[in-house]
Amino acid sequence: MQRLAPSLNVLGLVILIFSFTMLVPLTTAFFAHDAAQFAFDESFLVTLITGLALWLGARRWQRELKVRDGFLLVLLVWTSLPAFAALPFLIYAPEMSFTDAYFEAISGLTTTGATVMSGLDSLPPSLNLWRHLLNWLGGMGIIVLAVAILPLLGIGGRQLLKAELPGPIKDSKLTPRIADTAKLLWAVYAAITLVCVFALKLAGMSWFDAVCHAFATLSLGGFSTHDASVGYYDSPLIEAVLIFFMMAAALNFVTHLLAFRQKSLAPYRHDPEVFGVLGLVIASCLGLSFYVWQAGVYPEFLTALRHVSFNLVSIATDCGFASTDFNQWPILVPMWMLFLSSVTASSGSTGGGLKMIRAVLAFRQGVRELERQLHPAACLPVKIGKHAVPNQFVFAVQAFVMMYVATIVAMTLVLLASGLDFISAFSAVVACINNAGPGLNEVGPASNYAGLNDFQTWVLAFTMLLGRLELFTVFVLFTRAFWRG
Amino acid sequence: MSQILPVLHIFSKVLMLFAFAFLLPLGVSIALEDGAQLAYDEAILITFFSGVVLWALSRRGKRELHTRDGFLLVVLIWAVLPVFSAIPLLVYMPDLSFNEAYFEAVSGLTATGATVLSGLDSLPPSINIWRTQMHWIGGMGVIVLVVAVLPMLGVGGRQLFKAETPTPMKDSKLTPRMAETAKGLWQVYAFITVICMGALWAGGMSWIDAVVHGFSVMGLGGLSSHDASMAYFDSLLLEMIVMGFALIAGISFSTHFMAVRMRNLAVYRHDTEIPLFLGVLAVSAVGLAFYLHYKGFYLDFPEALRYTAFNTVSVATTLGFSTTDYNVWPYFAPLWMLFLSSFAASSGSTGGGIKMLRAMLLYKQLYREFIKLIHPNAEIHTKIGHQAVPNKIIYAVLAFLFVYVASIIVLSFILSASGLDVFTAFTAVVAMVNNTGPGLGQVGPATTYAVLNEFQTWVCSFAMLLGRLEFFTLLVVFTPVFWRK
Repeated sequence: MQRLAPSLNVLGLVILIFSFTMLVPLTTAFFAHDAAQFAFDESFLVTLITGLALWLGARRWQRELKVRDGFLLVLLVWTSLPAFAALPFLIYAPEMSFTDAYFEAISGLTTTGATVMSGLDSLPPSLNLWRHLLNWLGGMGIIVLAVAILPLLGIGGRQLLKAELPGPIKDSKLTPRIADTAKLLWAVYAAITLVCVFALKLAGMSWFDAVCHAFATLSLGGFSTHDASVGYYDSPLIEAVLIFFMMAAALNFVTHLLAFRQKSLAPYRHDPEVFGVLGLVIASCLGLSFYVWQAGVYPEFLTALRHVSFNLVSIATDCGFASTDFNQWPILVPMWMLFLSSVTASSGSTGGGLKMIRAVLAFRQGVRELERQLHPAACLPVKIGKHAVPNQFVFAVQAFVMMYVATIVAMTLVLLASGLDFISAFSAVVACINNAGPGLNEVGPASNYAGLNDFQTWVLAFTMLLGRLELFTVFVLFTRAFWRG
Repeated sequence: MSQILPVLHIFSKVLMLFAFAFLLPLGVSIALEDGAQLAYDEAILITFFSGVVLWALSRRGKRELHTRDGFLLVVLIWAVLPVFSAIPLLVYMPDLSFNEAYFEAVSGLTATGATVLSGLDSLPPSINIWRTQMHWIGGMGVIVLVVAVLPMLGVGGRQLFKAETPTPMKDSKLTPRMAETAKGLWQVYAFITVICMGALWAGGMSWIDAVVHGFSVMGLGGLSSHDASMAYFDSLLLEMIVMGFALIAGISFSTHFMAVRMRNLAVYRHDTEIPLFLGVLAVSAVGLAFYLHYKGFYLDFPEALRYTAFNTVSVATTLGFSTTDYNVWPYFAPLWMLFLSSFAASSGSTGGGIKMLRAMLLYKQLYREFIKLIHPNAEIHTKIGHQAVPNKIIYAVLAFLFVYVASIIVLSFILSASGLDVFTAFTAVVAMVNNTGPGLGQVGPATTYAVLNEFQTWVCSFAMLLGRLEFFTLLVVFTPVFWRK
């Protein structure tokens, strides 16, 4: 209890803030007179009161947060908020099980975009807005938001950011004041989202759809207001706009921020990941379009290029929109897309997976060991750009990559044992740990995750969480050392 | 050219020596008059004369070998000897294509046990003996490779095992120490093989079957003289004997050597890999038996245990015999067995995969990263048994594991791009890289690798060599650095 209480106190505060985000769909429901208003009334009250009670109740234990409290708090936030976020679904649709509602909410917050709901087109607008808002909030990170708003988290804030921000390099380039950093990141994120809303509107979406899809795009979440996802619009223009903003969201937001500040494109050139992200995506698009075209799926190369580009960018950046059932393509293509989803997104972006920089570092380290075979005594630094990366850092990355692989293997075996077929199990685990969204076969783009049983749903919800918090933040709580001393 | 002459010179000697290996099947063929005699006559002549010619041509380049030559020699031996080993198969079966014969020979020498032949029961006994004799010779090669050669070349953290080699000669020159180590180990290996053959014969096999399967078991290869593999005998006693010797072959031969020399079983207690090796196998066999029994696949628990125990031990030790078509079991069971095959075998055994010791190091390194999260400034040492493991070795091991995973992914993509279904491609690659033998899907235990096309057969041959030579040995030869002066 001694250990838990200070974290619970802050958790109460975070829940309290979170309850206010429900006012957005609540207002929408009020003005649109849709059927979900009562759901948001109740959810708002329950969340507000719980948060308030927890905050006040645990106030006695309030103190500066330490390293361990940070891990604990981040995990508590990410496991308990989905429960509250699921309330509107549960109240609006009483026949939905808690498992499914929780899955939908955590899929939203972790920006995975896997859904168990169908008939999205006929849902009340406020409920759809809520799903997309979850995407958007989860994209830049709830803790980052809290740190931005709450100066009282103090020095503990840096620790929290470390535990939540994706990517191996927890940046020090920016302003040293952590709250300012968080604020700036959110400002850039919000600004780009706004631009995306207008672009989508101009491209032909309704205002409501534009807002929802902009939320899902910038957070690389991938929820849609239509069952057919982006396939509903069948518009190359909309797809092009989405591709542009998905790629933007897959780059480091710190780089965007620097570019804004300096009013120049130079920061993009200095970002070691940009080249890898763009190169890999463009090469894959062209290569796979050619392959799909050769395989005779589409009669024209340009049609193939259009569909492959959109779906590939969507999966590779871990967004998860679909414009066609890519499960029908030769299996190599979706497998390659899933593979890309684990390496494409930059650190500091809203995407998931290993992140480009880790993939590059692990690869360079492999090559270095190969060269070391021949020159055992040579000093061979691993370099990113022109800077040598410290060894300790390289090894932490190696450990992360192996942990990632081991987790995928373990989770796939668990799902197999529960009765899923190999391709579905493997692709679902990869799609969830990368926070991408649709997998293949039973969980492919044309179907959804509703076909899974309760156990499998929980396993995948856990996998999404692991992916979003980058494994170690979650696993560290299962070590004995964490609870000792 | 002057760079590879000394390597070719040694290789020519190996070739001449290898010609004598054909004497055993030749003798059997003459004694039984099985009609394959001509095949061995030609094989001996071609092999021996190739050796002599090469020897004469490369005499000028005689000198002491360096590390770099060591890599080349090892790769040359393992890639070129299969060509000569394939001669009897090609002569006896003229309709066999070269790539298939090479595949069969690589599968033999790398102790993989994947076959493209069927109708094994009606092959001349001498041909079957030759097929599994390759396993046995390959096993000898592997023991020397992993215990004496690779540690000296420093492949994949193998330096760690230097301390454990039975003859602690401080001389760092390649040849004398290798010879000394090899002799001792081979005696033990041969000794256990003879006991194994005796046991199989006493257990009810004909003496030819006993020799064939004795070779196969001790090399942890998996070729058999029957299409039905071990199911042909349908004898619990024989299955127990095979399991027993497969487990023995899955333990480090250095440990066996010490036990024989010191006439003391206590050395087994000091081997840190043995408890995990046996423990994992026992738990898996019992667990899978429960699983299959629970799924209603076998009505009788002891019957389920009989099948899971044998096939689990067989696949996990990378032997590759089967007593039933486990391809029809619920997929979790065979995939779990394949998963075990990637790490269960001990480091100085004839088995394949990453080896138990590396898996242990991975686990310890991950645990260390967790502790570092909680105590960022702590100095933590990794230990195996009572021996501290230097960082350099841990990082080499992690890089090794990364290359292992990356190889599996890349090769799976290549096979599925060539038209194989994903499941078959993936399991085939895992079975090849671990030198296990049968995969799943189209290349399961009830079928053979004959379904593969020419390109796929070459990829699989390469994968077997890659796994057997522990990746780095083979890959390093393909780097530009290797050929630079």
